[in-house]
Amino acid sequence: MDIISVNDITKTYRQYRRFPGLIGSVRSLFTREYIEETAVRNLSFSIKEGEAVGYLGPNGAGKSTMIKMMTGILVPTVGELRVLGSVPHQARKDNSRQIGVVFGQRSQLWWDLPVKDSFDLHKYIYKIPPITFEKNLEFCVELLAIKDFIQKPVRQLSLGQRMRVEIAMALLHEPKILFLDEPTIGLDVIAKDQIRQFLRTVNRDKRVTIVLTTHDMKDIEEICPRMIVVNKGSVVYDGSVVELRNRLGNERQVVIDFREEPGLIDMPGITLLQEEGLRRTYSFAKSDASVFDLVSRIAAKYPVEDASIESADIDSVIRRLYQQLAEADLKRQIG
Amino acid sequence: MRMYLMFTMKAFSNQLAYRSEVWLRLLGNFVTILIQVEIWRAVIGNGSVAGIKAEQMITYSIINTLLFALLLNGVSSKVDGSLKSGGIASELIKPLSYPLYLLFDGLGNSLYQLAFTAAPSLLIAGLFFGILPPATLTHFFAFLLALILALIISFLLGYLISLLAFWFMNHFALSWMMGGLITIFSGSFLPIWFFPPSWASVAKMLPFQYMGYVPAAIYLGNITETELWQVFAMGVGWIVGLLVLVQWLWTRAVRRLVVQGG
Ligand SMILES: Nc1ncnc2c1ncn2[C@@H]1O[C@H](COP(=O)(O)OP(=O)(O)OP(=O)(O)O)[C@@H](O)[C@H]1O
Ligand SMILES: [Mg+2]
Repeated sequence: MDIISVNDITKTYRQYRRFPGLIGSVRSLFTREYIEETAVRNLSFSIKEGEAVGYLGPNGAGKSTMIKMMTGILVPTVGELRVLGSVPHQARKDNSRQIGVVFGQRSQLWWDLPVKDSFDLHKYIYKIPPITFEKNLEFCVELLAIKDFIQKPVRQLSLGQRMRVEIAMALLHEPKILFLDEPTIGLDVIAKDQIRQFLRTVNRDKRVTIVLTTHDMKDIEEICPRMIVVNKGSVVYDGSVVELRNRLGNERQVVIDFREEPGLIDMPGITLLQEEGLRRTYSFAKSDASVFDLVSRIAAKYPVEDASIESADIDSVIRRLYQQLAEADLKRQIG
Repeated sequence: MRMYLMFTMKAFSNQLAYRSEVWLRLLGNFVTILIQVEIWRAVIGNGSVAGIKAEQMITYSIINTLLFALLLNGVSSKVDGSLKSGGIASELIKPLSYPLYLLFDGLGNSLYQLAFTAAPSLLIAGLFFGILPPATLTHFFAFLLALILALIISFLLGYLISLLAFWFMNHFALSWMMGGLITIFSGSFLPIWFFPPSWASVAKMLPFQYMGYVPAAIYLGNITETELWQVFAMGVGWIVGLLVLVQWLWTRAVRRLVVQGG
């Protein structure tokens, strides 16, 4: 059973033209000129209960728009969207009890209340039974290390502290799905790690379905086995992280330091990329013999001092994907 | 219900942060009332105009000035602010009824105004200008009921404006227009009994009178006990009508909702 199903969804923003000045503002009342911008275009995918899905794409790809539609605060222009079996904007109130939402760029906390009071208010709004509430609060406070600032007003928290509180809040009512729109934006490495670990626990142990958008590939590698990549409102990749790496990143680089000038190395399946004194960088086609094998064969024949194998990191895989997309766009425009 | 009351409490305590404004508001109310008192004393003098004496007009002015502070006029600018900042997202992802949330939040402000502005102003105005007692006990209770109608209608009109802003995208112009209509047709400055007959009958058809004229006229006994039923029935009718209208508009407005920011 799919917990989320997105079927041919399109969202078009309509911007009414505004005219400057006082007379202009009166004129804007009567003219209905507008420009349309399609943020999401004929998009389809489905997510099963318990999955953790990374939703990825360049700026302006329509990620936030999609999250807003799935959480029921934005209505799709065309298409069928179901979350937990209902149409999100129609079942907004019922669905909201079963989903948790974190917007990295917008706080949902009460600015001038202490963190603890925000939690308490949340308890009433979501009608959480006291025992459940205490249990979940303890779990989040412990794992996200919130204790130190639980009495502070939200406005005094640092970004990282606030984000941890936002995530805790989104989970207190035991949602079935957790939506996160850029939850790690602007955080330091340690805070990111903590949040990633926490989200992984929540997904693996508590079986909470996670949909998260991010620009940080590490978030996806560590939390989400599956990723959906969108560009200009359409899905360009939907599958596992490993598979994408295989598809685009099937080259490995090996850096070899030689003891002395090795001359031309004649070995099938390797290409010289760079030459820097005694240091050479080769690319290896991964599909052939194992890289390790190749390196040891070189080491047997040539004076190798040291060698390091670098697999294409996921960032460069994504970069390559985006580049391919941009080139395809350019071709379409020219052609 | 409990959670909505928490919003009322929260709005109330948020207002406490602006305690320093209290003196300014008290002064503002005093001056507003003073001016009206002087005008009515000059216009009516010791006699009466259309059967209304100066003391009655003074009480009328005091009630209207203080009532205005209690009305839920802030609703539409709150929605407008939420729409412009995109903060409406946080409100909509919670399992609450948005209008009820707005209502109870607004009531928190009204409660604050009652405690820190209206009540002390009433005391001051009573000392300086004198206030007539309510016409009868029945009129007093009817007056309290009319206050509740005033709050509800002011809320619904404010909410209506904020929904209309989804189509006209210009909250400022709409609320300015609404402000004008309220000032004239609520009778808060010029009571409806001084209106020329044709305008008086228009004003008595509209909901604005409940936000000024009706409570004050009931207090003074200018609406007879037999008329009370009629006035209340029409007030409730307006509430039901506005409720249906905003409910319907909301279902359509939601499709146009754009949550800013990403
Ligand atoms: N309120 C709006 N009115 C008009 N256009 C909008 C609005 N919000 C978003 N858009 C447009 O829709 C497109 C998608 O925006 P969206 O915020 O969904 O992108 P995103 O994938 O979240 O980008 P980012 O990675 O930068 O957060 C963009 O081209 C944007 O300009
Ligand atoms: Mg975004």
